[in-house]
Amino acid sequence: MKKRWSAIITALMTCALVLGLTGTDTFVTDAAEASEAEKKILYVAEDFSYASLDAHKEYYGWMTSLYGLTETLFKMGDDSSVEPWLASDAALSEDGLTWTITLSEGAAFSNGEPVTAEMVIRNLQRAAEVNARFAYLAEYEMEAVDEQALTITTPSVYPTLQNDLASPELAILDLDNTTDYDNAPIATGPFVVGTFEPEGTVTVAKNENYWGGDVQLDGAVFYYMQDDNTKLAAMQSGELDCYTSVTAAAVEIYSLDPDTYQLTVIPATRLQFYILNENTLSDNVRAAINLTVDAEAIAAYLNGTVSATDGPFSSSTAYGQVVKAAVDTDAAMALLEEDGYVRNEDGFYEKDGEELSLNLYYYASRSLDTLAILMQEQLKNIGVNVELYAEEDPDATYIASGDFDIALYCMISDKAGDPYYFIDSTLRDGAALNCGGFESEECESLINELQYETDTDRRAELANEIVQMAIDDNAFGYVGLFNKTTVMRVGVSGFAETSPFDFYAIDADTDKTVTE
Amino acid sequence: MGKYIGKRLLQMIPVLFGVTFLTFLLLYLSPGDPAEKKLKAQGIAVSDEVVEQVRQEMGLDRPFLVQYADWLFDALHGDLGTSYKDGRSVTDKLAEGMGNTLILSLASLFFSLLLSVPLALYTAVRKNHFSDYLIRFLTFVGNSVPSFLLSVLLIYFFCIQLKWFPVITKGTLQGLFLPMLALSIPMISRFIRQFRAEFLEQLSQEYVTGARVRGVKEHLILLCNVLHNSMMPLLTIVGLSVGTLMGGSVVIETIFMWPGLGKLVMDSITARDYPVIQGFVILMAVLYVGINLLIDISYRVFDPRTQSV
Repeated sequence: MKKRWSAIITALMTCALVLGLTGTDTFVTDAAEASEAEKKILYVAEDFSYASLDAHKEYYGWMTSLYGLTETLFKMGDDSSVEPWLASDAALSEDGLTWTITLSEGAAFSNGEPVTAEMVIRNLQRAAEVNARFAYLAEYEMEAVDEQALTITTPSVYPTLQNDLASPELAILDLDNTTDYDNAPIATGPFVVGTFEPEGTVTVAKNENYWGGDVQLDGAVFYYMQDDNTKLAAMQSGELDCYTSVTAAAVEIYSLDPDTYQLTVIPATRLQFYILNENTLSDNVRAAINLTVDAEAIAAYLNGTVSATDGPFSSSTAYGQVVKAAVDTDAAMALLEEDGYVRNEDGFYEKDGEELSLNLYYYASRSLDTLAILMQEQLKNIGVNVELYAEEDPDATYIASGDFDIALYCMISDKAGDPYYFIDSTLRDGAALNCGGFESEECESLINELQYETDTDRRAELANEIVQMAIDDNAFGYVGLFNKTTVMRVGVSGFAETSPFDFYAIDADTDKTVTE
Repeated sequence: MGKYIGKRLLQMIPVLFGVTFLTFLLLYLSPGDPAEKKLKAQGIAVSDEVVEQVRQEMGLDRPFLVQYADWLFDALHGDLGTSYKDGRSVTDKLAEGMGNTLILSLASLFFSLLLSVPLALYTAVRKNHFSDYLIRFLTFVGNSVPSFLLSVLLIYFFCIQLKWFPVITKGTLQGLFLPMLALSIPMISRFIRQFRAEFLEQLSQEYVTGARVRGVKEHLILLCNVLHNSMMPLLTIVGLSVGTLMGGSVVIETIFMWPGLGKLVMDSITARDYPVIQGFVILMAVLYVGINLLIDISYRVFDPRTQSV
């Protein structure tokens, strides 16, 4: 009886094992991939994968740019400056209303068709039609001067047009020959679509007709992988060559093996900040909070995920030159006491028998939950009690109602190398994110000046002045800029690891040294 | 039997109406705007005017009942609409996710039954022996380990250390094995404990003693009597598990990059993609009711006494 049972169980276990291992020959794909590796195929993991490759729609252009399929008239440099790409030059008329854009010599689509001024105009018009965020382009007058040049006339002075034209959604597609925008757009990038699975894996192949010169890679495979452990395991098993948004835990592991992995960490454009409600908090309380929240300590706790910041923009940019007061908890407590607060027996400040208890709203994304706890802890240390409230959707709740003492938020502060977008979204009167009651006539007038200022240096000056006013008013607290952390296998180069922008990855220069 | 099935199918109508209405209402009441979610997907701020324009385009500015009635009208005509998130057909998205989930679920169920039925029978027969204690201990562990940890451990041993499987599944049969195993281990552990209790109950019945006294061989008693008489409770347990499996395991699907229904619906909830969520709810309701119906029918097949009920 005993033997029979053992036999049955052994048979079943064997069956299970055989079932499991039936694919062993499929794993031989590694061998197949080895031969592909000789063809210089780069294997990449990405956090996002969209349902379409139509660059003009939604945010799909971010991915087509990253896949090396599409290009824009201008591109953002590593220092957030605007650089030529499909366009070689942009000149602004004296009245500041008309831009003349000259296309780069030889710019062409992957099918060999040249990029013409008329095609560019049609692309911009299509983007305005299919993407609500770019609907404003429909108000601009566009005219082809000749094959190589076009003019864009705006109703009012619009100094950041070049920056806007670097948005990946304004990629230039061959509208005459593309028959399937979702799956096989014809564009100008160094790569062309190989295979496309909506919200899945995307493969690209070298564009043999690339107008910008030789393309180093033969192709690339972009896997849609959201789980950080899976990415780490796939790097360790040799199935991936590179990816960005590496977690702090994975960084530690990769750092142990510098012969295999190269790591690059740069401050990027996504900002963690908090809004202090001027309607519910006195000047001294707000100042005390800002003197207490220690961005450096928070960045250290987040272990390389963010870089502490004084302002909303990277300090490497001309418009990121602001300063905030250094952490000084003694001064913070003195300010509270000056406001009439005294410590109670529990160690918390109170006034007229009422404890100083603040509510802090946050949402559990982009490490804001951790930031909330750290801020609570730091404020508790000076005797300020903080209650935490989590919301799923900040825009529909505390940002919309303005019902908070402290509100945490995370957003891209620098979407295209210019400060106006962030300032306009957070500091202008009536802006959705100016929900803490910050008001300043002087600031408003400077924002109006910034909107129309065409001189880049003066724009940076104005931006610094405006942001400094918000900092000095203790209306906001800028905590950290998320780092862009990239890991690449040794031998891989040019994976846009030094660009702070999320929408660049591979280009003609991206290379992978084939190793045994 | 036909009348019974017809009656049960008719009962599905108010169930489906109820779940779709409630889901739509809860989504409508929950904070979060699909238009805003879509426009701010990459963390870019947009103006209120743009949000309002997109809300209008998506028909979100209409009253709740009008939105629901419109959706219901289209659904009754076989059109589940298009995804707010990417404009793709909801039916296509569900079909893709459903296909993958079916493969994973059925493979896991088959594998779980393949191991748990004989092991449960074995532990019942060998009650309080070392092997019984060992298997029960292992089932306790299998039930307790969280699925994310189990998945990571499986990847570590099978993909990195042994290099038997790829981390990136690519939808192959081989790629199916680890997610199937991760989904099966807790289920096998649960099944073994539940099946064992049922087998023990049957083994203590007098018909078993009688059969043994009459000299019927032990394996015939186990296979022909005990297993057969345990079928109804076993089917109930399995039926309930199928529902859970079909709902998908978001964690396992995410870790193993398995594009099933669980992941699809979680992404849709985050994006407030009402049409996809509604489609999923209908699909799940039909599946649950359908599976329950099949189990009820199987009761009648396995136990003719229930036919008179």
